[in-house]
Amino acid sequence: MLKLKKEFADFYKEIKIDKETNALKEKREILEEDIKSKLPTILKNHNISIARSDIRMIDQGSYKYGTTISDDVVDRDVAVMIPLDISISSDPRKIKGYLRDSINIPARTVLIKEPCVRASYYDNGEEWLHIDLPLYSQSGTSVHLARGKEFSSDYSWESADPDGLNDYLCGQINGNDQLRRIICFIKKWRNVKYEGATSDHEVPPSIGLTLLACDCFSAQSTDEGDNDLLALQKTMKGMLDRFTYTVDENGDLVKTISRDLPVTPYTDVFKKMKDSSIAHMTTFYNRLSKAVENLTNAVNVESAHDAGEYVQKVLGSTFSVPAKEAVAATAQNRREHSFG
Amino acid sequence: MQQQLRIDENTALVDDMNAREILESYEEITVGEQLLDDVLFFNLFEKTFLLFSPDKSDPSSMAAVYLYNDELLDFPHIMLREERIAEGKEMPSGTYRYVCLFEQESIVNTLVPYEDKIIDCIDRLIELLSMNSSEQTREFQKEFMFYWNSESKSNRKYVAYIEHETQFTEMDAFYGENKVRLIERCISLSDIDDRNKAERKWVHHIENEVFYIPITDSRGILPPHKGFSWSADCVKNIVFGKRIEHIDDDTYSQIKTIIPKTQDLILVFGMKTEQSNVTFALKVRCNNHKGHTLLNKLLSDITAVEPLSTERKDYLFLCEQIGNDIGLMHKRVLLIGAGSLGSYVAFEMVKNGIQRLKIYDNDKLVEENILRWAFGGFGIGLNKAATLQFLLNMLHPEIKVEACAEKITEKSLTNEISNTDIIIFTIGSSDEQLKLNAALKRAHCSIPVIFVWLEEGGEYSHILVANYQKPGCFECLYTNDQGAYVNNRARKNTEIASEKGVIRNGCGGTRAAYGTAILLRTTAALLDVIRNIQGEKITKNTLIDISSDRIDISDTVFPMEACNCCGNSVQ
Ligand SMILES: [Zn+2]
Ligand SMILES: [Zn+2]
Repeated sequence: MLKLKKEFADFYKEIKIDKETNALKEKREILEEDIKSKLPTILKNHNISIARSDIRMIDQGSYKYGTTISDDVVDRDVAVMIPLDISISSDPRKIKGYLRDSINIPARTVLIKEPCVRASYYDNGEEWLHIDLPLYSQSGTSVHLARGKEFSSDYSWESADPDGLNDYLCGQINGNDQLRRIICFIKKWRNVKYEGATSDHEVPPSIGLTLLACDCFSAQSTDEGDNDLLALQKTMKGMLDRFTYTVDENGDLVKTISRDLPVTPYTDVFKKMKDSSIAHMTTFYNRLSKAVENLTNAVNVESAHDAGEYVQKVLGSTFSVPAKEAVAATAQNRREHSFG
Repeated sequence: MQQQLRIDENTALVDDMNAREILESYEEITVGEQLLDDVLFFNLFEKTFLLFSPDKSDPSSMAAVYLYNDELLDFPHIMLREERIAEGKEMPSGTYRYVCLFEQESIVNTLVPYEDKIIDCIDRLIELLSMNSSEQTREFQKEFMFYWNSESKSNRKYVAYIEHETQFTEMDAFYGENKVRLIERCISLSDIDDRNKAERKWVHHIENEVFYIPITDSRGILPPHKGFSWSADCVKNIVFGKRIEHIDDDTYSQIKTIIPKTQDLILVFGMKTEQSNVTFALKVRCNNHKGHTLLNKLLSDITAVEPLSTERKDYLFLCEQIGNDIGLMHKRVLLIGAGSLGSYVAFEMVKNGIQRLKIYDNDKLVEENILRWAFGGFGIGLNKAATLQFLLNMLHPEIKVEACAEKITEKSLTNEISNTDIIIFTIGSSDEQLKLNAALKRAHCSIPVIFVWLEEGGEYSHILVANYQKPGCFECLYTNDQGAYVNNRARKNTEIASEKGVIRNGCGGTRAAYGTAILLRTTAALLDVIRNIQGEKITKNTLIDISSDRIDISDTVFPMEACNCCGNSVQ
């Protein structure tokens, strides 16, 4: 019997989100409709002319390639692309402000973030959903992402290829169910280990984990079916091996990891994390090493119960540990097989 | 915990330990007051429990654990109702809640040594209390109906009849004396118009519309339990879940469209998990906003929800519970012959998933036959087919048995073919069967036909499966390799033995003497044959011999190429 096969299957069932809920879909569609109906007018007031039909919404993120996991706050990404001449509209902060204005109503809380505009939804005072709207300008074949917070001096139109990134990830993930599950497990690990994180920059970004998981994925199966435990162990080990030594500001050797976007602008997806503090990299490395160590133990121990306890240390208490073999075997021998 | 004891459990080490010593061997347990020899309190995970050790003099007894003085802990398998013990007896006063650690009759207790029973019980308790939230949800869902029905305040019981358990549908409510039937509209119940004197037993009520909503994702859906009652939010979470979608697209689009006509509603939820298949109804009281869709009503108009004690009793559900072949449910079976064998066959078929049966027999039941008729004393002097119809329809209101109190003719049989999916003969008479067999062949009958008969003497019986599109028919058995008629070649009984089994009862009438074992045996074999035809395990025309020591494909030559009905000479 494949070790922890049922436990991994149950765990995946417990954490996976197949598609948008109707509640989320409704919110997203209303939001998209607001953008389409109000943004052209607001832009027109600032002498930018676009038609409703010029606005393109691009489904992005984990919902697009089926690697969404359940979480307290649902995180949805929809890119907004408008035709725009950035040699004239050179300040992306202003355009992001217009996008914000088009959706700023009391039903949602709208905030300009560095790479996007975020609409958050609350239920009894608690956020349950945010929809992130990265804003892209299009002019001919060149596409640029609007970066920068509203009042930050650090802003730019960054060359980008959102369609290319979608194609890349869909090509890697669609049709590879084990990879899809492994990505979900790794994201769940991240959520468990970074539960107490106070800033976004501490936390390895989903896009980074997803790209690394695709790079390092090791398919594992036997006659009995897919061996997700081994695939997870090998994939995370592969990710760990991608860390290299660099010298930090004090001259100490530290482990860091880089992964460039596979499309324009080919920038490192971990840059923000590194720039924020090199210590975040060390934490990431240490947590990943610990996970690999636990998973390796899980692979090596014979007892499914003991293996389950190691995996639980990685994936959290949602992962069920099977009963001790002695208990299970005793129960099996004495099970009632007769009926009247 | 317990490593040492576990490893050595088959040696003498654990022998002769008392309950206190066993409890003390767990590091997470602190032993408390001892009431009797092996009855004592202990503390585990900051709760106090009382252990009743098994009775040493009764090997079939088991250990039991009660949670002491804790009315709040909401946990699967810790019972809702507590025993309250007053001062003065052997036990300290307080409340005791039973902890259900064993599925009923899941363990052969006699096989388990006394000490192991205690260890097993404590291990299970620790396992139970260490469950993570998804395991807790699973356990709660396993006992969903127990919790749900415990929460019902109404003394009426709601009985659901559902045929399409994965589809959203409207249902009808029929009120009886102390039960309410909630019925999917495609189901008709044969007793719904029954009367008690002049009063209808079931009255159609329309003051609350009833909707059946299938739940496709059961994650996080818990029954009410201690400290958790169902509210409007639970309903909203199912029909319009924020993080997890619990219903399918079709259900969603229907509840978004339908505009309920009544102010208050009854909702019936169906939820299938790996471990359980539950159906629970609740009354939803609402503000009266005319024109709201069902979805809007559930999202914004609910003022109160009341769990209703629910059980599902439709034929499909009952069949699933005993593992019947659901594929048989819509098969129409024509049964020809309601004598001894026919009565047993008819009764068992409706209990094995065949809901629609038409029975032909012109004979009346006589008293001397009651010991070999499946229903004994009822219906003496009445037509056998009509008596079977009456009795079988009483078994379940979705069973539809028709009776024809006439002898089937070649013409009526030919006419029945197009209304039937399987034909079964249980008439015995060779002449009749040869005649009807030929009629079916002439009619190019394309549905499976099964001939079942007993030999005199009570030892042998036979089943013949015939598909008239293929070689092999009943007449083959009465034909030799020259194409001449001979007596039934399948017969296994010798002449001498058969003579002993015959009872002559005047006027030349004879009856084969046999007990009911051959009837039960043959009926059981027939049920397997029907399942195997349905499961396409029997695809050729087949003759089966049945005796008290075996059921086997017959060694009799079959089909017979020279057969004048189905053989080579026939076009
Ligand atoms: Zn229980
Ligand atoms: Zn023939």
